Amino acid sequence: MRRGARATLLIAWLLALGGLGWTVSQRLKISTDLRSFMPAPTTPDQRLLMEQVGEGPGSRLLLLSIGRGTGSSVAGVGPSDEQLAALSQGLVAALKKDPRYSQALNGSFDLGALDAGLLPYRYLLSPTLDTQPLDEAYLADQLQQRLDDLSSPAASLLKGLLPRDPTLEMLKLAELWTPAKSPELREGVWFSPQNEALLLVQTVAAGFDPGAQQQAIDGIQRAFHALPGSAGAKLELSGPGYFSVVVGAQTRHQADWIGRISTVGFVALLLLAYRSFSSLLLSALPIASAALAGIAALTVAFSEVHGITLAFGFTLLGVAQEYPIRVLSHRRADEDAVQSVRALWPLLLTAIASACIAYLAFYASGVNGLKQLAVFTIVGLLVAGFSTRYLLPHLLPRRVRDVADMRWLAKARVFVDRLPRPRWIPLLVAAAIVLMLAAAPRPFWQNNLAALTPLPQDLLQHDARLREALGAPDVRYLLVLQAPTEEGVLALSEKLQPLVDTLVAKHAVDALELPSRYLPTVARQRARQQQLPDPATLQKTLNEALQGLPFRPDLFQPFLDDVRAARALPPLTPERYAQTPLGQRLAAMLVQRDGHWLGLGTVSGVHDVAALQALGEHSNGTVRLLDLKAASESLVVDYRTRILQALLIAAVLLVLTITFALRSLRRAWHVLAPMTLATFLVLAVERVAGVEISLFHLVALILAGGLGLHYALFFERDTGDPAEQRRTLHATIVCVLSALLVFGMLAWATIPVLRAIGLTVSLGVAFHFCLSILMAPHASED
Amino acid sequence: MIAALGQPAPAHTAFAEARFLQVLERPLVVSGELSWLGGDQLQRRVDHPQQETATIAHGEVTQQRAGKSPHHFSLRRAPQLQVLLDSFVALLSGDAGRLQQAFQIRQSGDAAGAWTLTLVPRDAKVVETVASITIDGYARESRCMHMQEADGDLAIDLLGALAAKMPAQPTREALQALCQSTP
Repeated sequence: MRRGARATLLIAWLLALGGLGWTVSQRLKISTDLRSFMPAPTTPDQRLLMEQVGEGPGSRLLLLSIGRGTGSSVAGVGPSDEQLAALSQGLVAALKKDPRYSQALNGSFDLGALDAGLLPYRYLLSPTLDTQPLDEAYLADQLQQRLDDLSSPAASLLKGLLPRDPTLEMLKLAELWTPAKSPELREGVWFSPQNEALLLVQTVAAGFDPGAQQQAIDGIQRAFHALPGSAGAKLELSGPGYFSVVVGAQTRHQADWIGRISTVGFVALLLLAYRSFSSLLLSALPIASAALAGIAALTVAFSEVHGITLAFGFTLLGVAQEYPIRVLSHRRADEDAVQSVRALWPLLLTAIASACIAYLAFYASGVNGLKQLAVFTIVGLLVAGFSTRYLLPHLLPRRVRDVADMRWLAKARVFVDRLPRPRWIPLLVAAAIVLMLAAAPRPFWQNNLAALTPLPQDLLQHDARLREALGAPDVRYLLVLQAPTEEGVLALSEKLQPLVDTLVAKHAVDALELPSRYLPTVARQRARQQQLPDPATLQKTLNEALQGLPFRPDLFQPFLDDVRAARALPPLTPERYAQTPLGQRLAAMLVQRDGHWLGLGTVSGVHDVAALQALGEHSNGTVRLLDLKAASESLVVDYRTRILQALLIAAVLLVLTITFALRSLRRAWHVLAPMTLATFLVLAVERVAGVEISLFHLVALILAGGLGLHYALFFERDTGDPAEQRRTLHATIVCVLSALLVFGMLAWATIPVLRAIGLTVSLGVAFHFCLSILMAPHASED
Repeated sequence: MIAALGQPAPAHTAFAEARFLQVLERPLVVSGELSWLGGDQLQRRVDHPQQETATIAHGEVTQQRAGKSPHHFSLRRAPQLQVLLDSFVALLSGDAGRLQQAFQIRQSGDAAGAWTLTLVPRDAKVVETVASITIDGYARESRCMHMQEADGDLAIDLLGALAAKMPAQPTREALQALCQSTP
């Protein structure tokens, strides 16, 4: 190709890439919701899990502490309790106005916050009337107690309430609605034993949407730092949403710096191998085209692209980086690049087709995220392959150094050729694999997704401490009540309450909060209404009860008015309840699904799981304890089963493709046997080293398998030309070294997900390389 | 003068209190013993008409009624007790500095004869509940304490020997006269 035509082609290609990049940047919508990367839930528990993981009350809860800044934890230095309490109040006031938060609690129960119109409802909500009518004896006793209260030092707390609420129903409700194990109140707000003010904030955003959680957390921090006097105090956060943000940032940070180092190494390696800047830059074009075309295909086929798809996809696309390397290594000094590629193409095409077929299996899995992964990698590999074949060779410099002339390479080839290749090697390796797998410690699979993105120990301890101090519900267990209507759920909840009280008394559980605690059934509210005396009767009863007591006779008119109002109130329904300050709390506990209603009881401090499960006995499935951890693990198992099934199909297709392409079972064996053995060898070595296999290990094994297939294919090829054999060795060594460089660096990462991928691919590349050489047919054999 | 009032801890004194509250037609009368246990610890024990003990220690109040489990709350939630602690302990320990710290002080009368101290809490939150305290005394003895609450309610405590002289149906005027009388 002439100089001018080359320049035109290069510019056209770059323009096409630029255009594609622009379109992609306009259309690409990345979702961070973990759930779209999960298989469709099949059991009711799994479906509930998916909802809870994203939107459950527990996952949207942030635990906050405001303490003295570091270095001033000694009492008397830094802000006082009073200042911390003021900060706590200020923060709650700011967050209550912000639509990003559905709830902000700090322990202060402000009666003023209650709508005056709702106050008469206390007679319908408080359990007093269930056992105690408003008769003369009761009123007289209550009034005498109030008199005693007035002479006590706590009188000022009570004086304002007395005329309206002589039986203190409001305080009974406040007590009922306070978490059973609530922190110590100081200065009117929650405090931890470590002298920090404590707060609970519920975000509107889902807990496992790191993007939205980041915004919510930023909002809290901004609101806090805007408060006067916040400079000397320290705000700390915890909770699932905060963790998802921290883990995301940590993983990104580590992947970024490892990526930077290995990119520099990769560039240096290629420069060393080919001594040509232009070759290096040009060989990046097929990979860039692959990535952009892959994303473009995703934006066409799917409305949203998952972040994990992209991360995995770029990893799997690593295979494509071999195509230009092969072309560069196989060039001869006197030959046009186009001709070199032509000779190489049948083998390259086999490799591309095999990889595409393996990844196609992902599409059959039916999981949305895996389908995306398949589309991305297959389109990417095809684009990388075909642009390497039809575009790249026209751009490469005409004159290059033939790598076959390198002296070290000739020596290396001789060394490789002289290696003994006994036929019992596959048997020995297979036996070793079986032995190692048998001897490996259990369990084989890692089902706990959280174990792959573990949190720093100090964060977990901080979380446990705050959770303990706040009596915040466990994120693991939920008591699920099911009924056709909301009223039915509340009725079930009321029926269950005495059993739950017994469990709490027996210390099977620290607290179990049921929806009826916030809202009794309409039936019960009506029953309580029936108990309220009519105005004339109450007036008479009150007058009699007041006999001999020094209260002013007209003092209790607001009380009489409220009781009169309460008698005529329409009972509170969840809908009307939603307007109250506690509405959000109840809304999180009552969810509608598939034509029925679910009540979610939150559990804190589980000591006896069996006793909790026993609550569901004889309930015909209307009451059950949901273990979110067990449900998530069963989901992971389902997920893995699908991947393994897909892999099995891929393996069969792969055998057929290779056999067809090489038109020889024996040759196919030489390619597939080392690849299969190496894959299982990685698995066996990792298992013996105590690694539990996760989804990430499987994806990494597939990538390593794809690379290994290349090595085996090229080593198996016998051209009868020693120079071409040397070039094959050169290309393979460059490929192996670059893969080891990139993934070997990842293997040093401290974050297990990155380490799992790095370690598996590095081991895989090493094993594939060695076994491909040792099991390749001898040059002299044929 | 305040230094002269000082006594070694523990110091006990009988009291009888009449509370004039707007919600009540007639005053509420209780009697018992106030004890300074040293440091910031104060006990207010009521013997009549109901047994009740309130103990202040380390910023926390523990309230105990006969036959009921004790009730704890922060001293900050009971400004009356905060004021009682600040004034009573300062007077019993003869600590003028402490008194000065918690209150603006006005003094009238004669240190050797009848005197009156008027104390206005400096703490903005406390003064929202307790407007002022007036202590009447004679020579080295505090005899009466008036606690004027911001909402108009008033508590008058007769201290020491005077406590026994609490009338069955006290009025503000009668108690005022008792406090001004010469022992």
